[in-house]
Amino acid sequence: MNTIPLLLYLAAGILYAVHFSTRSATVGRAGTAVLASGSLAHTFVIGMQTMAAGHVPIAGTTQAISTFVWLLAVAYLCMEMTTEERALGVFIVPLLVALQLIRALNPVMERRVPILESAWFGVHVASLLFAYASFALACVIGITYVLLFKEIKAKHLGFFYKRLPSLDSLDLMNARTVTLGWVFLTVGVVVGAVWAAEAKSGPIYDPRVQAMSLADPKILGAVVCWAIYTFALYTRRLGWGGKRAAYLSALGFAIVLFNFVPIGYFLTRSHNFGG
Amino acid sequence: MHLFLLGVSHKTTPVDIREHLDFAARGLDAALAALAVRPSTSEAVVLSTCNRAELYVACDEVASARADLLGFLGEYHGLDTSAVFPHLYEQVDGAAARHLFRVAGGLDSLVVGEPQILGQVKDAYAAATEGRTVGPVLNKVFPWSFTVGKRVRTETALSEGAVSVSFAATALARKIFGDLKERTVLVIGAGEMGKLTARHLKAQGVSRMLITSRTLAHAAALAETIDASPVPWRDLLVTLNQADIVITATGALLPILTRSQVEGAMRGRRNRPLFLIDIALPRDVDPAVGDLDSVFLYNIDDLQAIVEANLTRRASEITKAEGIVADEVKKFEVWLSARCAIPTVVALRQRFEAIRRQELDRLQPKLAGLPPEAKARVDEITRLLVEKLLITPTEQLKSTPDPERVRSDADALTRLFALDAEDPAQGEPDHSSAARRADDAGKLVTP
Repeated sequence: MNTIPLLLYLAAGILYAVHFSTRSATVGRAGTAVLASGSLAHTFVIGMQTMAAGHVPIAGTTQAISTFVWLLAVAYLCMEMTTEERALGVFIVPLLVALQLIRALNPVMERRVPILESAWFGVHVASLLFAYASFALACVIGITYVLLFKEIKAKHLGFFYKRLPSLDSLDLMNARTVTLGWVFLTVGVVVGAVWAAEAKSGPIYDPRVQAMSLADPKILGAVVCWAIYTFALYTRRLGWGGKRAAYLSALGFAIVLFNFVPIGYFLTRSHNFGG
Repeated sequence: MHLFLLGVSHKTTPVDIREHLDFAARGLDAALAALAVRPSTSEAVVLSTCNRAELYVACDEVASARADLLGFLGEYHGLDTSAVFPHLYEQVDGAAARHLFRVAGGLDSLVVGEPQILGQVKDAYAAATEGRTVGPVLNKVFPWSFTVGKRVRTETALSEGAVSVSFAATALARKIFGDLKERTVLVIGAGEMGKLTARHLKAQGVSRMLITSRTLAHAAALAETIDASPVPWRDLLVTLNQADIVITATGALLPILTRSQVEGAMRGRRNRPLFLIDIALPRDVDPAVGDLDSVFLYNIDDLQAIVEANLTRRASEITKAEGIVADEVKKFEVWLSARCAIPTVVALRQRFEAIRRQELDRLQPKLAGLPPEAKARVDEITRLLVEKLLITPTEQLKSTPDPERVRSDADALTRLFALDAEDPAQGEPDHSSAARRADDAGKLVTP
């Protein structure tokens, strides 16, 4: 069932790539339409899984990835509509395809253990996924900023010069997405900490809950991310906008992604509730 | 019906003659009104820009329209047309359409691909529509030219990239800063080039513009003309902190901005990007300044290189654009030649109808004894017979793509049916309905 959105995302990715290289407005609009229908199909898939399981499918890493993909697609579409800027799709949509592929290859519906039946848990995961989606956008915007910056600096006005919006608007978009992501990251981490403390003293004993401490790679990773984005926001106030902010948001998202996928699957002892 | 064009442009005519033929100054309405009363032309559009003055008319006979338009030019502008005559060019039908399409597509412009001309063509047509001087031919060819202009713009890169140093600088500024409204521009030096670039930036909506010069009076004088504020020379480095875009255009022999000076200014700017445009020769800004982070330094050669690259790219798109024009001209010629066939079709119908009437009249004594319904039936049958006989030749004539072929077919029909011969026996032809039918058939091949 997860393959339908995957195929639509793939088709959208191809259309965005064609749009980016040929700058045909028609192809661009087609890309947006296909991406929108992909996220709509994805909404149905997630909705049906929610109905079947009785809760939003965010318990295991695989499910969370799919929900993250959905959020990122929706967030990107919102950004595209508000900025009327389609050039970034070519960077975002491949990420959607790659992550949704993980979900499509693991079609199992993970069961939710009783300890996760807490409202805190829902808020924790939802805000973190939203934060990650924002950071993904910030990262892509940051990368394109650096590419455009280098072109203008080197006086080789070529590929990106013709296709990307101005440095100033990329910087502004980066600042907004990082700020938004930081707010959700903060909420997610704080809520997670509160819920973990509650669960540790609760009636159900679970070794994973007991493993929840800064020593766990996943938790440590989240805290490192928070530190990086806090640093990025703080230095932006000091005038470290532009290229440095762009590099920081790329670094931040690299850690987010590392924390989300390899650590989430192989290293964490506390955040492996799936399967 | 022919499409006829008479005009002058920057390609054929020096400006001192062109300026005598300008229609814009007195307003197009007056010219259109004066053209409308000319006997040989039935439709008119006047296209008058600083690079061209062109009259597009629809006429039945080219020779008389030419004479008429020449007379009009002489009378309207009060000049001796013999001085202008050698500079005038004229085109008929497909060639006239080709010219208009090339103009609308920016192919005939001084700077190939410049986009303003399409708007000017639209304005010219709008004025003529308002003045009710357009009819079937110009109502077809002008909107068609807008389509061609749009196709050229979207399907080719003919209009892409800045092709003057000032535009290249402005385009770069927009790529760095986006909206220029909130930006501060500092112009160093009160020379001509600085003024030009400052003007372009001003046109982009820059609200705060500062000008400094070694002689404050010069700065003040230039500031006056472009609505800017003069700044004393000694405040140069302080002002550098505030500016986002700096244009240097002094006649100084040694650099006026050194690396350490700009480095100092950057610290105060909290790393906001600084765009330095050095259009002075010798250069005003030490090239090492370009190595500083967040400083974009472009000198006159860099900008010139951008312009050259854009011009080369535009040139490479010309063939593609000409292909679009040729494509559309071919379609227009089909439409026009279908219109050429209309008189022949009308004449043919009249001839057949006349023969039918003639025969009915001749048979009148024999038919007299029939009841009225039967007489009506005879009339209807003969009418349908004529109709059926004519339908195929009419359609064939109107759907022929080649105008030459249409003309020779029309000639053949005229000869075979002696359509141009006086026929005293001709009854009362149903002229209006025949013409209408012919017109309807004409619509079949209208793209």
